Amino acid sequence: MLSLYRFLLRLYPPAYRDEFGAEMLAVFGDAQAETWKKGVLARGVFCAREVAGLLRGALVEHLQGIAGSDLLTASRSRIRLSIFPLRRFTMRSEFRFPKATAPLMAIILALIVVAIEKAKAIQASLPHTNPHVGPIQPAQFTLFSTLLVVLAITCAAGLLGWAILFALRRSGLHRLSEFNPSERFGPLAGGPHGP
Amino acid sequence: MRSLPVTEPVLLILLSLAEQPRHGYSILKDVQEMSNGQVTLSTGTLYGALRRLLQDGWIERFEENRASRGRQAYRLTPAGRRNLQLEVTRLTHLTRLAGLRLARVDRCAVTLEINPNLVGVNRESEA
Repeated sequence: MLSLYRFLLRLYPPAYRDEFGAEMLAVFGDAQAETWKKGVLARGVFCAREVAGLLRGALVEHLQGIAGSDLLTASRSRIRLSIFPLRRFTMRSEFRFPKATAPLMAIILALIVVAIEKAKAIQASLPHTNPHVGPIQPAQFTLFSTLLVVLAITCAAGLLGWAILFALRRSGLHRLSEFNPSERFGPLAGGPHGP
Repeated sequence: MRSLPVTEPVLLILLSLAEQPRHGYSILKDVQEMSNGQVTLSTGTLYGALRRLLQDGWIERFEENRASRGRQAYRLTPAGRRNLQLEVTRLTHLTRLAGLRLARVDRCAVTLEINPNLVGVNRESEA
């Protein structure tokens, strides 16, 4: 059970794991030792509760990482702020990119592809000789298709932004702010601390 | 900042820490005792709540040195104690209100049992 617990702990964000992982493991060990003295039913309930608690906790922590606020436990008056957490829009210094964004973007892309395929199927089902169906004019753009185009552009812009940030991170540019020449090369000659 | 009212597990955790600083396992046991076994927190739930309370500044963490293998312990901050007091006041008010409402319903029921003819008196007088 301890190894399962340790495995499930890996579902938590690394920062959370570093801060509470060892402590949670110790507390779980104490609780397990006490429960193991009881019957089989108590053990089963204990295991189910711990697994459910860990899964739920990991989900909440990841959601909080994405939303930037206590989304699940927010009171109704705070939901608007939780969904639009303005403070999270400020870029972190270490250029962290939420991992969950990649699956979300993949889902959005898949939906767009499905929508395009559906549109193609509809187009193919219509007879070409139908005089009422002519070439698509800009005026025939529906709100839905416009939204799809906007979404696609937004995703493309997001990907581009991420690529730029990724390239910057790989280049090590963000470390320049922490770079201290005197520490690396020693005191500069003629400088205020020089000989 | 966490807004009032708090959830039941969080309230129990705060009440557990109101008495004295405790470490994780001690909180688990105390919550179970306080709720007569009705609320048993999992470690995931406990540490999720503790992390949010730490983040909101309601509790603080410190290292317990004596006879506790250097385990981390938690205690209420002054802000946490103040907020807990507010929550308890709110709940006290709610309980008193509930008692009054229930007593009023009971009084009406007793009156109707004594004199069943009073049923519909209000409706007639309104008409």
